Amino acid sequence: MSEQTTLTAAESPEATPVKTKEKKVRKRPIGFYIAGSWLGLVVLAAIFGPLLPLPQWDESFYDYLGARPGTSGHILGTTQDGYDMLAGLVNGAKISASVSFVAVLLGGGIGSFIGVTSAYFRGKFDMVVTSIFNVMLSIPNLVLSLALLSVLAYSDADNPATTSRRVMVLMLSLTLVIIPILGRIARASTLQWAGREFVLASKSMGTRNFTIIRKHILPNVAPAILAIGFLAIGSVIIVEGSLSILGIGVPGGASWGSMLANGRGNIAFSPHEVYMPSLCIAFTVISSNWFGDYVRRKLDLREAKI
Amino acid sequence: MSTLLKLENLNVSFRTPRGQLKAVRDVTIELKAGESLGVVGESGSGKTVLSRATMGLLPSTATRTGTIWYQGQDISSLPKEKVRELWGVGMAMIFQDPMTALNPVRRIGSQVTESLTVRLGMDKKAARERAIELLKRVRIPDPEAMLRKFPYQLSGGMRQRIMIAIAVSCNPELLFADEPTTALDVTVQAQVLELLDELREEFNTAMILVTHDLGVVAGHTDKIAVMYAGDLVEYAPTTELFANMKMPYTEALLKSIPRLETPTGTRLPVIEGRLPDPTKDEPGCPFANRCPYVQDKCRAEKPPLKSDGNDHFYRCWFPIGGNK
Repeated sequence: MSEQTTLTAAESPEATPVKTKEKKVRKRPIGFYIAGSWLGLVVLAAIFGPLLPLPQWDESFYDYLGARPGTSGHILGTTQDGYDMLAGLVNGAKISASVSFVAVLLGGGIGSFIGVTSAYFRGKFDMVVTSIFNVMLSIPNLVLSLALLSVLAYSDADNPATTSRRVMVLMLSLTLVIIPILGRIARASTLQWAGREFVLASKSMGTRNFTIIRKHILPNVAPAILAIGFLAIGSVIIVEGSLSILGIGVPGGASWGSMLANGRGNIAFSPHEVYMPSLCIAFTVISSNWFGDYVRRKLDLREAKI
Repeated sequence: MSTLLKLENLNVSFRTPRGQLKAVRDVTIELKAGESLGVVGESGSGKTVLSRATMGLLPSTATRTGTIWYQGQDISSLPKEKVRELWGVGMAMIFQDPMTALNPVRRIGSQVTESLTVRLGMDKKAARERAIELLKRVRIPDPEAMLRKFPYQLSGGMRQRIMIAIAVSCNPELLFADEPTTALDVTVQAQVLELLDELREEFNTAMILVTHDLGVVAGHTDKIAVMYAGDLVEYAPTTELFANMKMPYTEALLKSIPRLETPTGTRLPVIEGRLPDPTKDEPGCPFANRCPYVQDKCRAEKPPLKSDGNDHFYRCWFPIGGNK
């Protein structure tokens, strides 16, 4: 988003009047509104879901087992076990969105910090960071999450791990997956900018290194991190779904992936139980990927202009 | 006038895969407060490295020996933190290419005020006022509007003025101008050089003007140092140098400036050959292979830096006009 403000600010204020008019007329692509409103909807559902006049998501309605979508009282139908689909999806948005946003924000923040500083200062620190990133990237992320979850949030019949603990561990493991991905992007992008003359020029005026990073490197590196960050949100949601299907994600149909996992046995009787959470996952992944691409296209445009 | 800067036996070499590359060899130079020194040489002669080494802005692959006296203090042995305190306030640098020396995503205003707030501790309002004053000083029309613009909206000449405004923003005593006009149009070159002269006079700033163009230094410097392959080869007051040129290399540099009077179709004069390999130490004068007056002694022995007793130093066995 910050990319957006930078650009409009760069173009609008006191460029030539003709140019300003031209920019005002130009529209955003339609995908911007579609993807934007879907992501907005998911975020709103995640935040305000509990306030909506919906049935309890974890309450079984025995009169409506496997109701079709369109049934009165259960707009999107119910599962074979009588759980309301709409309430489940809204609640799933909360878990899926918060897991992916937290993991990407946290992992992106830590990864960018490490990546930017290591590329700026180079030397031994950079070598160590690069090798750690490479080791982390060499472990398939599904396997890493699987291992972490089964060690840290193991549940047996006697003392089951709570859902919130599972969610925390899930966030942690996904954060660990994100750190090297965004860290490498941040590092590569910083390498490209840190050698520029304006960094040296600022340095020659006696500016401290961290001030240079904050004022000169970050504004240039941010769009690249943002673009990959959006793509990362999509893949984190997929990983979360995959873990649920493997049976070690969030239990009890609390997330989209978990709903999908619960419903997959009933696909012959109530297919909406499977395709609705699948569509939610698909739309969210496509939308965030679209935004990632959009930011990157804008970035290319700006590069060309310079 | 007191001595502001003195370089004593400055050597800079870079670690490369082919061995140590000697970029600056044993250079000794002195500069008084308010004085202007031109450093001239072709590409690769070590002139940029000389100015960066003086400031301490070298990459980590470089090693520097020799002493740098700044206002009577040996800054070559100071820790990095102490040297940084001089940057911007004591010594500042104007870079060659104004297209790359400004951050493309930040407004001119924030870049001009950066060193004012960071180095001089001004608050935002005071820094903004000072920035407007500085932009007026470097003759930028409508400075208030300029503060809100981005570098891509400016021409090269405008950007170089901004760079100059940033460099002089903390009133440095010594200004390094590293080919400040090379990336600019000829018409703008003269304006920028005049602007530098004006600012220098106003603030009594000393300047080291690095360039490959003898024409540029001629009217804007008090002293000239000619460099070749890392060596200081001729060093004299500007008028003395042009009146009484000793080095065949300096003469060749002067001759290679294209002239208007020559008929169309004349081949541009060039200095034949190339700089010697800076990673090797070969005997003899480094210019011997390209020199029109070369003699046997030049190939065998490297000439020392000699003085003609008139503040005119040269490094040649057989100078133009003969030895004194």
